[in-house]
Amino acid sequence: MSSLIGFLSLVFAIGINFYLLISKYIFKFKNLPFYLFIRLSSLLTLLSFFALMYAYIVSDFSNYNVFQNSHSNKPLIYKIAGTWGNHEGSMLLWMTVLSIYSFFFSFTKNIEDSFKRSTLLIQAFIHIMFGLFVVLTSNPFLVNSIFVEEGLGLNPILQDPGLAVHPPILYAGYVGYSIVFSISIAGLFQNRDDEWLHVAKKWSLISWTFLTGGIALGSYWAYYELGWGGWWFWDPVENVSLMPWIAGLALVHSLMMIRGEQALIRWIVFLSILCFSLSVFGTFLVRSGILTSVHSFAADSSRGIFILLIFFIITGFGFLVFLLKEPKKSYSLKLLLINKASALVINNILMVIATLTILLGTIYPIIIEVLNNKRISVGGPYFNSTVIPIMIPGFLLMSVAPILSWQTNKIKNSKLYVLAFIFLSVAVLIQSFYLTFNTWGFIGILIGSWIILASIIAIFFSYKTKLNIKFFQIINPHVAHIGVGIAIIGITCSSVLKSEFEFNLNEGDKFEIYDTKILFKKIETKNEINFQSLRAKFLFDLGNKEIKEIQAGKNYYPVSKMITSEAGILHQWYRDIYFILGDQKNDQWFVKVLINPFVSFIWLGVLIMIYSGLIAVTRR
Amino acid sequence: MLFCLISKSYANENIDERVKKLTLELRCMTCQNQSIYDSDAEFSNNIKKIIRDKFEKGENETDIKKFLVQRYGEYILFRPLINYNNSFLWVFPFILLVFGLFFIVIKSRKNKA
Repeated sequence: MSSLIGFLSLVFAIGINFYLLISKYIFKFKNLPFYLFIRLSSLLTLLSFFALMYAYIVSDFSNYNVFQNSHSNKPLIYKIAGTWGNHEGSMLLWMTVLSIYSFFFSFTKNIEDSFKRSTLLIQAFIHIMFGLFVVLTSNPFLVNSIFVEEGLGLNPILQDPGLAVHPPILYAGYVGYSIVFSISIAGLFQNRDDEWLHVAKKWSLISWTFLTGGIALGSYWAYYELGWGGWWFWDPVENVSLMPWIAGLALVHSLMMIRGEQALIRWIVFLSILCFSLSVFGTFLVRSGILTSVHSFAADSSRGIFILLIFFIITGFGFLVFLLKEPKKSYSLKLLLINKASALVINNILMVIATLTILLGTIYPIIIEVLNNKRISVGGPYFNSTVIPIMIPGFLLMSVAPILSWQTNKIKNSKLYVLAFIFLSVAVLIQSFYLTFNTWGFIGILIGSWIILASIIAIFFSYKTKLNIKFFQIINPHVAHIGVGIAIIGITCSSVLKSEFEFNLNEGDKFEIYDTKILFKKIETKNEINFQSLRAKFLFDLGNKEIKEIQAGKNYYPVSKMITSEAGILHQWYRDIYFILGDQKNDQWFVKVLINPFVSFIWLGVLIMIYSGLIAVTRR
Repeated sequence: MLFCLISKSYANENIDERVKKLTLELRCMTCQNQSIYDSDAEFSNNIKKIIRDKFEKGENETDIKKFLVQRYGEYILFRPLINYNNSFLWVFPFILLVFGLFFIVIKSRKNKA
C-alpha cells in the first residue's frame, strides 16, 4: 500500500512540474498559483520518500526494493538508513533533496518575482529529468513478484551510525548546487543586474558547508570502519566528491569579490555550472557502476546511459547559455601585485586546475581502457605528486589574502608579518630536526602553522571594542583559514610521522609502545541482534592510575556472510593509537598497531570550517 | 647541504623501508582500492615476500616494477608509468598551470594600460 502511495505521489510531483513548464511556454496562463504548485510538487516528492522509508521501517517485503536491501532483524536506525543504502532509494533521496531546496527557495524574499520563477522552473526541469530516470530505470516501488517472509539484508559495512547520516548530508551538498546552477542560468537568461550574486552566495555557502560535513563523515567512517588506518585513499568515489567541493570553494571565494566591487560575473557563472555538472557527473560515475567501490550498488548499463544523457543535457544547456548570453553588468578588475583581487583570482585558478587534474586522474583509466583495452590505475601517488604541489602556492596566498587591500598593493604591518614568518620557519626547522627530518613534513607543518599564525595576527588587529556577532562575522574568513591550517598540520603529521608496530600476542600478554603500557586482556565473542562479534580487549595504563579500555575485532554478518573489521582506537588529543586485530595462528593473535599523530587536528579543522561556513551564511 | 640530506637518507634506507615504499604504490589485486602494503590479503603477503627476496638479491625498484607489470599488467601500479599512453595524464596539469599564468599576466597587463 505504502509503495503505491509513494509511486503515485512521485508521478504526480513530476506531472505538476511538467505542467508548470509547459504552461509557462505554451499556454501562458497568467494567474497560475505558481508557488503553490511548486511547493505541492516538493511535498509530494517528500511524501513519496517517506512512503519508501515507511516500507523499510515496517519491513514490507512485498516491495522488491525492501526485499533486496533490508532484513527484519536490523536495528531501527539501519532500517531507516536502508532507504538510501541502495541505488533506487538513493536516487529518490537525490530528488527529495532537490525538492526541499526548491521548497525553501520559493520562500526567499528580496528578489524579484520573475527571476524567482525562472529559477524554480529550471529546478522543475531538473526534477523532471531525474524523475523520469527514477520511474523508468530505478523504480524503488516495484512489487515483489513472489511472496517472501524475509529480506536479503543491507551490506553490513554500511551498518554504521556515521554512514547512516552520511548520504543525506552529502546529497544536501551535491544537490544544493542545483539551486546555484539555476540561479545563475536564470540570471543570465533574464539579463539581470548583479543582485542575484548575493542570493547565489548564500546558497552556495549552504551547499558547500553540507558537502564539507558529508565528505568529513564519509572519511571519518573510512578511518574507523574500513580498518586500513587511513582516512583518505584517493578512491574514485572520494575524488568525485572532492571535485565539486574544491570547485565550490572556488565559487564561494569568487563570490566574496562582490564585496570589493570587482566580481568576475562570467567566471562565477562558469563555476556554478561547473559545480553542478560535477555533481551530476559524480552521480553518473558512481551510479553507473563504471567505478567499483562500496558506493556502486548495482551495475546496469541502461541506467548509466540515462544519467549520462541527463549530464549532457544539463552541462550542454548550462554552457550553451553561458556562451550565448553576456552578463549585463561587468566590473572592472583591478589586478595588482599583490592585492586582494589578484590573490583571489590566482587562488581560483589554482583550485580549478586542481579540480580538473583530479577529474582527469579519475577518468583516465576509463579513457585508456576504452582506447586500447588496457587497464591502468591512477592512485594516491599520482594525486599526491600533482594536486598537492598545485595547491601549495594557494595555501601561501591564503595566509595573507584576508589582510590584503582591494584597491592598492600595500599591506598593513607587512614588516611584522615578514618577521613572524622568518621566526616561524626557523622554529619549525629546528623542531623538525628533533624528529626525523622529512621535506614534506617540514613544508606541511610550516605552511599550516604559518596560516594559523598569520590569521591570528589579523584577528588581533581587527579586534576593536565589542565581542558581538558582527565581530565574529568580520573575523570569519580568518577563522576559516585557521581551520584549514589546523587541518593541514593534522594531515601532514598523520601521514608523514605515522609509525607502525606488529605483535603476535597471547591473551594476558603485556607490551609497550613508546611509553604506554598495554595489556591484552582477553578475547570475547558475543551474539548481537544481526551479527556475531569477536573482540580483543586492550587495557591502557596511562599513568596516574588512569586506565582505559579499547576493543578491536571483527563482526560476522550471517545474513550476507560477510566479515567486517572493527578497528579499536584510543583517541588522545595529540595522537590516535589504532588497533587492528588480525588472524589467529598457533594460539597467538596477530595485532597491528598504528600510531597516527595529530589525527584529531583534521576533524577539528573541518569542524572549524563548517562553523565558519555557517557564520558566513548569516552575513549579508 | 641538500646533498648531505639526500645521501643520509639513502644510507638509512634499509630493506624494510624500501619494501614499504614500493608496496605503498602497488595495488592489491584482490582487494578494493587498497595498497599491497596496507592489505593483509594472501595476494599482498605473497607479493611482499617476492619483493623482499628481490631486494635482498640486489634488484632495484625499476626491475621489480617491470617484473610485476609483466606478470599483472600496469593495473598494479598506483603511480602510472610515464610513457606514451599516459603522457597526457602527466602533462595536463602543467599545461593548465601555464594557461593560468598566461591568463593572469594578460589580465594584469590590461590593468596597467
